[in-house]
Formats: sequence, structure tokens, C-alpha cells
Amino acid sequence: MIPITTASRVDGRLKVTGGARYAAEFAPAQDNVLHAVLVQSTIAAGRVASIDTARAKQVPGVVAIMTHENAPRIDLGKAGDMTPGFPLLQDDRVMFNGQHLAVAIATSFEAAQQAAQLVELHYNRDEATLLMSDNPTGTSVPQRFRNGMRPPASTRGTPQASFDAAAVKIDQIYRTPIEHHNPMEPHATLAEWQGDRLLVHNASQSVFGNRKALAGFFGLPEDNVRIVSPFVGGGFGSKGVSWPHITLAAMAAKLVGQPVKLVLTRRQMFTSNGYRPKTVQHVRLGADRDGRLTAVLHDGISQNSAYGEFSEPVGLASEMLYSCPNVAVTHRLSKVNQGLPTFMRAPGEASGVYALESAMDELAWALGMDPIELRLKNYADRDEHEDKPFSSKTLRACYEQGAAAFDWKRRVAQPRSMRDGRLLIGLGMATATYPVNRSEAAAKVRLQADGTAIVRCGSQDIGTGTYTVMAQLVGEHLGLPLDRVRAELGDTALPQAPVSGGSQSVASISPAIREACLAVRAQTLQLAAGDPASPLHGLDPEELDVADGRILQSAEKSRGETYQALLARQGRAAIEADGSAKPGEEKQKFSMHSFGAQFVEVAVDPDLGEVRVRRHVGAFAAGRIMNAKTGRSQMIGGIVFGMGMALTEATEVDPRSGRVTNATMADYLVPVHLDVPEIEVIMVAEQDDAVNPLGAKGIGELPTVGTAAAIANAVYHATGQRIRDLPIRPDKLIDGLSI
Amino acid sequence: MDRIRFVIDGEVRTVERFDPTRTVLEYLRETEGRCGTKEGCAEGDCGACTVALGELVDGAVRHRAVNACILFLGAIDGKELVTVESLAKPEAPAHPVQQALVECHGSQCGFCTPGFVMSLYAVWREGDAPTRSGIEQALAGNLCRCTGYRPIVAAAERACAASDRSESRRVATAEQLRAIRPTEMLAIEQNGRRFLAPTGLDELAHLVLAHPDAVLLAGGTDVGLWVTKQQRRLPTVIYLGRVAGLADLAVGTDRIEIGAGVTYTDAMPVLAKYHPEIDGLLRRLGSVQIRNAGTIGGNIANGSPIGDSLPALIALGASLVLRRGPVERTLPLEDYFLAYRKTALAPGEFVARIRVPMAAADTRFRTYKIAKRFDQDISAVCAGFAVTIRADRVVDLRLAFGGMAGIPARARACEQALIGQPWTQAAVLAALPLLTQDFAPLSDMRASADYRARVAANLVRKFQIETSGAGPVGVLALAEAQP
Repeated sequence: MIPITTASRVDGRLKVTGGARYAAEFAPAQDNVLHAVLVQSTIAAGRVASIDTARAKQVPGVVAIMTHENAPRIDLGKAGDMTPGFPLLQDDRVMFNGQHLAVAIATSFEAAQQAAQLVELHYNRDEATLLMSDNPTGTSVPQRFRNGMRPPASTRGTPQASFDAAAVKIDQIYRTPIEHHNPMEPHATLAEWQGDRLLVHNASQSVFGNRKALAGFFGLPEDNVRIVSPFVGGGFGSKGVSWPHITLAAMAAKLVGQPVKLVLTRRQMFTSNGYRPKTVQHVRLGADRDGRLTAVLHDGISQNSAYGEFSEPVGLASEMLYSCPNVAVTHRLSKVNQGLPTFMRAPGEASGVYALESAMDELAWALGMDPIELRLKNYADRDEHEDKPFSSKTLRACYEQGAAAFDWKRRVAQPRSMRDGRLLIGLGMATATYPVNRSEAAAKVRLQADGTAIVRCGSQDIGTGTYTVMAQLVGEHLGLPLDRVRAELGDTALPQAPVSGGSQSVASISPAIREACLAVRAQTLQLAAGDPASPLHGLDPEELDVADGRILQSAEKSRGETYQALLARQGRAAIEADGSAKPGEEKQKFSMHSFGAQFVEVAVDPDLGEVRVRRHVGAFAAGRIMNAKTGRSQMIGGIVFGMGMALTEATEVDPRSGRVTNATMADYLVPVHLDVPEIEVIMVAEQDDAVNPLGAKGIGELPTVGTAAAIANAVYHATGQRIRDLPIRPDKLIDGLSI
Repeated sequence: MDRIRFVIDGEVRTVERFDPTRTVLEYLRETEGRCGTKEGCAEGDCGACTVALGELVDGAVRHRAVNACILFLGAIDGKELVTVESLAKPEAPAHPVQQALVECHGSQCGFCTPGFVMSLYAVWREGDAPTRSGIEQALAGNLCRCTGYRPIVAAAERACAASDRSESRRVATAEQLRAIRPTEMLAIEQNGRRFLAPTGLDELAHLVLAHPDAVLLAGGTDVGLWVTKQQRRLPTVIYLGRVAGLADLAVGTDRIEIGAGVTYTDAMPVLAKYHPEIDGLLRRLGSVQIRNAGTIGGNIANGSPIGDSLPALIALGASLVLRRGPVERTLPLEDYFLAYRKTALAPGEFVARIRVPMAAADTRFRTYKIAKRFDQDISAVCAGFAVTIRADRVVDLRLAFGGMAGIPARARACEQALIGQPWTQAAVLAALPLLTQDFAPLSDMRASADYRARVAANLVRKFQIETSGAGPVGVLALAEAQP
């Protein structure tokens, strides 16, 4: 049998054969689905003066054009704090270019598309702020930072005075651009009303979140809304909250009394489902001559929409990553006429650690110190912000193992000193960190008379391997091979689980599944021990074990029987149990984070300014890795996400209209495979008994953190040029390279 | 003929009455209910919609990967269409390519996976023993946002290492393709729009003259986007893919003649044989899927300012044979481009052939592509340079650039200043300021004007260094080496 921790993903065959069905591929029971296409604003601020739908309605096949004038009224007050309540066609306001102003509904996608083009919008324009400035003024303090769970600023010690008095100072501004998630699957929703019940197939990172939002909007009991999402073609945060197109599809279905399918185009993926906001970050570091940090000040400003609030928490890592008595962090917002930003892979840390770890590299150069040595000198053995011990922290080993694998010691400590032929070579490193999250979850496990098991949990698999981990847990606890376990997820008809975000899925659902498994197992062992016809009769259940689909005596493994035999004799169709688990007191007692170290070698063409990453080593300590194969692939993917952030990705906005100008996969440059070098992932062993019963910390986001800083630091080493404005494109480097 | 026929899963399918610009992707997902083929971008950028097209070549079936999202249904008449569902029936073992992707964890969210499967299938099918670089090229047109690609490359190597590539159906498919080989003009008309596919050159010339407003369609890698991205409704489309003779490739003593219907994939080995320097450039042009469908003729005819092949062809002194009715004329390629998207093509006229001269023995030729992303990226600056030196003097110099103006263009002032000069660093440095007379590049999201100007100058210097000394030496490296 394959060792279970390197098992191939259980949904692999479905995916490679084209059998996995995504949201857009479902059809209602009756063949009466209508297609909806969004009509979007071409101005960034104002009001809709009038909408002429006469020509649009003449397109054959058009059923209705939904506008703010005829759209069903919904309740904006009960959809949950995280749910964007705009733009939902409830009023005539225009707040950004690309905002939904109407929905064309027709019998075919082509007809709806044609009609959408023919909808004539007339506006009363208002003054708009189209772009966030590189040096924002008039910023505001977030009102609901981290959902109101903590204030947006923190201070310990005397940061300003200590900085002023520091022997060595770094005082720089770092900028990161707007980025879009661009999962390969465009968002899609199929909404179907059955009386006052609503069935929605949706590309979702949170089926229960979607249910709460839709129930709130339509004033329904949550049980009346069912969300189904068995396969999701990537999310990276973009499918986390209930974006307006989901609600609009349900509103359209209600308006016309027929099921409605709404699939976003790739271009609409740049206006309709959030983005990583632009940030301007002022970082000040003070240190003594020995390299000990005496002050850390991190002031972050992030872009926000003119409606709603999303604050990118860029400074949180700066509060706890290094030991320093004097730390101040602030977060502010810069409002512009663009859509609402949202979570994107490692929100906060991806942007914030780029700034902090770039500044740490600058400090190392200023001190003439090795960057790893500087970090070890300021190594935090406990979380000085929360004033708690870490549940576990194995960062020191990450530095050591990463540096060894990368051969860090070959680095010549002088910028522009390493060459390969005509290319400039640079080596850089940075630290990665991401908090451990966990939420309450429930699960159901059913061992069936045919010797197979089903595990049900309303989580999501956005490519991360949730199906596989679920099946694996049941396999482990019930002694079943993976092909005898079926996992079901992505459905609000299943036990409740949290959003697949914040790298929390495994940490949240695994304890619940484990509990259900243990209950099934206990019942089963009890049955066997108590059944006079069982070869295990009379033994203490404590003496029994399960393996290879059998119940057996631990000390005498040949003595036992199959599940089938036991259940058949007992006349039981199945043995079933529920499990649920929620975070305990660990969060009060411990600071819980995963850590890692990123090492990068770049080659820069000095004649052209082109940067190529030649090698990447990432060493990560994230507690128990549930499946080495899915985990490794996810870590590589996370690093490559960071490479795109470092070198190519940025959403461009037309400064005259506020329109996104590179809203295609040809112009928004996610890495292609030739941009991706040899990547080595080291899973640093870490045992954490406090964080949750399985000791798993989550790995989806950690590898993205620090990658951009490590690349920027390597580019500095190669060229002597510090780029403090991502992405590091050739035209930013050429100035300092030209001769 | 008002219907098309093609082979799918061993059956001959006949389709009549369809929208003339319906894409193969729409057909598969909506009519066939085969949803394995995905739509990720609808613009040929992401490869999630990759399918393989089988054609008879020298009596055997040859498969190539193409993007179904910008391929019009009429273009698959007479071919075999292979989709991800074709490779493994539900109860059968998975195809080796599919199995390797599972085992190497080359699939996470799975949405891009069918496209990768089909790109790899085409390699597995057609490659003798695909090399690492062959695999990497094959994957250039498929984007993945989850895996970071390394597990997919590993899967490709594993699958292609397996030697048994027999497919029981191949002979039967060849028979079927012979039986449905198109012989007469196809004319699909619906919703007041037409898809016409002539079979001969004279027939084509006649049709183009009769429909001067018709859109000529070759690979569809540009025209397809007019429909899927710009939502233009094209009244008359004349498809060039079945015109006998238009895809001919002839090598003479003094020139190569490339029919306007020759795909990049077919033109590449021939061009690379006689002008090896162009190979590296063409390998970064679009992706395998784009090169399998797209034609050099189409790139030229549409007057695209960003075609990567154009500077190289201009540097090589290529000319065009244009045909209008029965009349042909020739025109130097650089004179064909008048302004952004405006060409010298007269109404009723079409590009028939591209003539690429053989280079003189003492001509040195180089190409350069500068882009932010390695593959599938529109160039910030693209260049093709050719210099001929006799008796230590420059007797001919062609410095052609893309990305520096609204059309591909030569740096005439700079060239003129160097004619008659020795081919030295000093002479090049003296002439480079004239580049500002030749070009006033724009700033856009691909690069700043300043970057373009600097890189253009550095490329010319690089060219001089590379063609005077030994091997690729950098401008910086050389400058530093000198006292």
C-alpha cells in the first residue's frame, strides 16, 4: 500500500479526464436555464440618469434587462459584515468604472451578450478619484480593521524616540501595486428558485458564507438556501466573500421566474471580485552598531473603495517577527473610485513582509552584516506583541536548512560582485511568516456495510487537496485504503465548515473528522467485542485495532474480521457518527504562526534589465504536513505566486477613466512555466501539540510570503539597485544599469 | 456544401446550420455537452481550452494542439477533433499522460488540467522522444495558477518516457479522414452571416474580389478575438485553410517562398534551417497552440504592429506577393505597413506568399525579443538586424524594430549613418543618437518610452559586439573590460 502521507489526490482521475464538474457546468433539472450577462459602467463616479433598454430588448431571445429600476428589492442589512452590499442594483449610484449597472437575461449566452452591448446608459457624472496616489494624503483610519477584532494601530515602548536615537537607521517607502487573483476558473453562478427555496451552484471558497449572505439578502431562513460547489477552479481569496454577481444571478432568477446562469468573463474578473489593494508602506528600522533592533515603525496605507471597507493588514508581521522593545504599527486607508479590495493569498503578509524584509536587507547592508546573521541576532523567542510564547517556532532550522541547501555561503558580500558570463548574479533571502487560523467545523463519518466509508463535511476543495486529506484521515483512523473512502464537500447540505481561506481548512475540519472517526471506531470495536459470533468477542475494546479494512486484536493481528462481516451479522447498514471541533484556549495561551525562509538566485541582464530567477529554495516549518505530495505542490505554487508578485504582476488602471487596461491573461502577466526555475521545498520537521489536535498549521499562504522580498534583495545584490516599487520590471532597473 | 464533417471518438459527425463564427469550444460545451474542455479566457491566452486536431499528412494522421476558444467550427471540417474525454472512457484506464499528471500531482484545482492533458497528448503522440526543451515548449501556451508548473513538467517527462504510443484507432481514423476529405467549397449561412471556405487559389481570388469587405480567416488567432473579445459580428468570413496551394512552402536557390496559409509551426523548421538565428525568436512567438493555428501571412495581412516575426523578416529583406483577381504584384515587406493597423492592401486583394531571400554568406543576422514574461508575452521591443560587411566596411545594414512605433519599422537614419563605416563599437556609438530621429517610442504598460529607447540602443550595440567578436558578450561586460 502507498504510504498514506504521499497518496495521490483522490480527485485526480476526475480532473485529468475532464470529469470534474465546475459551477458553470451544472444545469437545472428542467432544461430552462437562462443566461445572464453583466452590463458595466464606463464612468467612475456619478449617478445613472437613465437607462434605455429598448434596443437590447429587441434582440431575439432576450427575456429581460434587470436594472436598478426593476430589480427585486433585497435586504442589505443581514448579509453579514464581510459581504459586499454594493453594487446590487438597489440605487442609481456609480462608484467605479466597471460597476454592474444592469443584467441582460436571454435564452442564450450570445443573445444576452448582444443585448448587454445594446443597453444604453446615460449618466450624471461626479468628480472621481481614479487612482491611489504614490504619496497619499487625506487618508482615513479603518473603522472595522480585522473585522473589529483589534485596533488598526499598536505601540510598545518608545518607537519614535528610539528610532531618532538609533545609531543605524533605515527609513524608506515601499510600494506594491493592485494585483488580481486570476484563478483559472472564472467565477460562475447558477441560481434556481423552487418556491421560496433557493438552490445555487457557485464557484465558492465558502458555501456557508454564501448561504448566510443570500439568506440575509432575500430574507429567508438559512435552511431555505442551498449552495453547491463540488469543484472550484482556484480561488486565492477571490471566491471567499459573496460577490455581487452571485446575488445578481439569484435576483435575476427571481425576476424572470426561471433558473439563471451567470459566468463572468475574464475581463470581468478584473472588476467584479476584489483584488489585492495597492499599498504604500513607510518602514523605519533603528538598530545599534551590533545589529540589534532598537525601533521598528511600519506605517501602511492601502487602497480602499469609495464604498465598503477593506484594510490590508500589512503591519501585523512587523509587530511580532523580530525581538524589539520599541515597535509601532499603523494602518490607514486611501479611498478611490475603484471596486472593493479583498483577501488575496497571504493578505497583509504578502505585501507587508515584502516591505519589512526589504528594509531588513537594507539594514544588513548598512551594518555590513550577513542578512541571516541580522535576523538571528533579532530572533524573537516569544511573541513580544501579544506577550505570549509561540505554540512552536522552528524558524532557526528553516534558516539553517535553507541556507545549507542553497549554499548561501558562496555569496560574495558585495553588490554587483557575482557574474556568470555577461549576466549579473545576485543571491537574496527573506523570512516568511503567516498566522495559524482555525474555526469551528463539523463532520459526519459513515462506515457502510460494504466496507467502504463516506466522510461528509461542508468545506471546499479549491485545489488544495481537501478531498484527499478528508479521505486520508478516515483511512488512517478506520484502517481503510483510500479507494474505499468517499469524501463529500462543497455543499451546505453537509455539516458546516468554514471558509477555505487563511490556510485554515485542514486545521479546522481535521479535528472534527477525527472526532467522528474515533466515535465510529469506538462503536465498531464495541460491537465486535460484544458480538458472541465475532472472533474478537470478549476482548476489551482497548485491545483492538483497525487495519486494512479489518478489526483485529492488536497483539494478535491475524485474529479479527472484516467490517463487512461484522456489519452483516449485526444487520447494520452503517455505523455513523458526527464530530465537531472548535478552537479551545490555545489562542489565549499561545501565539500561533508558521515560519519559513526563502532563498533566491537571480540573473540580471545588465544590457536589458531583464531579471530571471534561476533557483529558489524555500524551507518551511508549518507543523504536521498532512500529505507530502499535495503539500509540496501547494508550496511550489505559493512560491511561484510570489514570483509573479515580484516580477510581473500588476493591474494597470487608465488614469483618465479609471478603467483597468490590462484585463486579459495576455496583459496581466501571471508566470508561465519558463519563468519558473528549479524550486526546492524543504519541509522542516516541527511538532506542535498546542495548535490543534493534529498539529497541522496550514501551508496555503506561507510560501508566498517573503518571496518578493527575497527576489528584490537578490536583485539588489546583483545590481546594487534597490527596487522599492513592485513589480521589478526591466524599465525600473535599466536606469542604473545603462552605461 | 452546406455542412461540415469531422471525426470525434471514432465517429464521423455531421453538423449543419450553425452560426458561422461559432467556436469549437462553444460547440463542445453546449452542443456535445463535453465540458472537459474549459474556457479560461476566451482569447487564446491560457490554454484551458486546448484540444488536438488530427489531419492527414502524407497518408497518416498527425495531431496538433490548438485553442478551441478562438477556433471557428467551420475550420475543423475534414479533421479529427480529440478532446480530453476522448483519451479515457469512464471505465477504462487513464491515458499515460493523464496518469502521470495524477501521480506527479500536476493537477490542483484542475481547471487548467484538461488543457495541459491535451498539450501533452500532442507531444506524446507526435514527438519521437520529447526532450526537456520540447516539453517546455509544448507547455508554453498553458497557464496554471496553482502548481507552479514543476509537477506538470515532471509528469510530462514521466509520460513521455513511456515507449508504447500505439493507438488502436489510428489506421481507422486515417480511413475516415480520407473519406471525408473536403473537395468542394463550403458555404455556411446563418443569421445573415456567411462562412465561405474555397478550395482553390483562383476560387479564392474570385471570392475576395466579389466580397471586398469579407474578413479573411486563416488560423483565427487574431480574428477569433474580434468575435470572442470585441464581440464583433462578421458578415462574411472567407476561410483560407482549405485553399490548395496557399499553404505551399518552396525553397529555391535564392529564396524561400512561404504561402500565406503556412502556419508558424510549419514555417519554423524551414526558416530556421536557412536562418538559424530566427529559431529562438519564433519559439517565443505566441505558444505552440498559437503557432499551430496562426500563419505568418495572417500576421502580416492584419497589419498587427506587434507581430514578433515582422522585424526579423524585414531585416532579412522579405517581400510580399499580393494578388487581386488574376493579378499579382510584389512589395517589400516594410512598405506594406502604412500606419497602425493600416496596410497597402487594396480592396479585393490578399497576401498570397511571403518571399524570404537567402542571406548572403557575409551577412550576419540576429533577432531579439524583450518581454517581461518569458513566453506568451507581447514584446516591449522586438528586433531583427542584418549587417553585410565587405572589405571591413558596412555595405548593407537593416535595423528593424517592433514596439518602437505604430508599425514595424527600420531605423533608417541610423542605418544610413553606418553604411560605408567600419563595423566597430566607435562607429555604432556615433550613429546611435540618430535612433531618436528614427523613433519616438511610447510609454505603455509594456515598457516606458525611456526604457524602449535605451534598450533599442543597447540591442544595436549588442548586435555589433556579437557579430564582431566571439560569442554573446554583453555591452556592460565589454565596457568594463576596457580601460
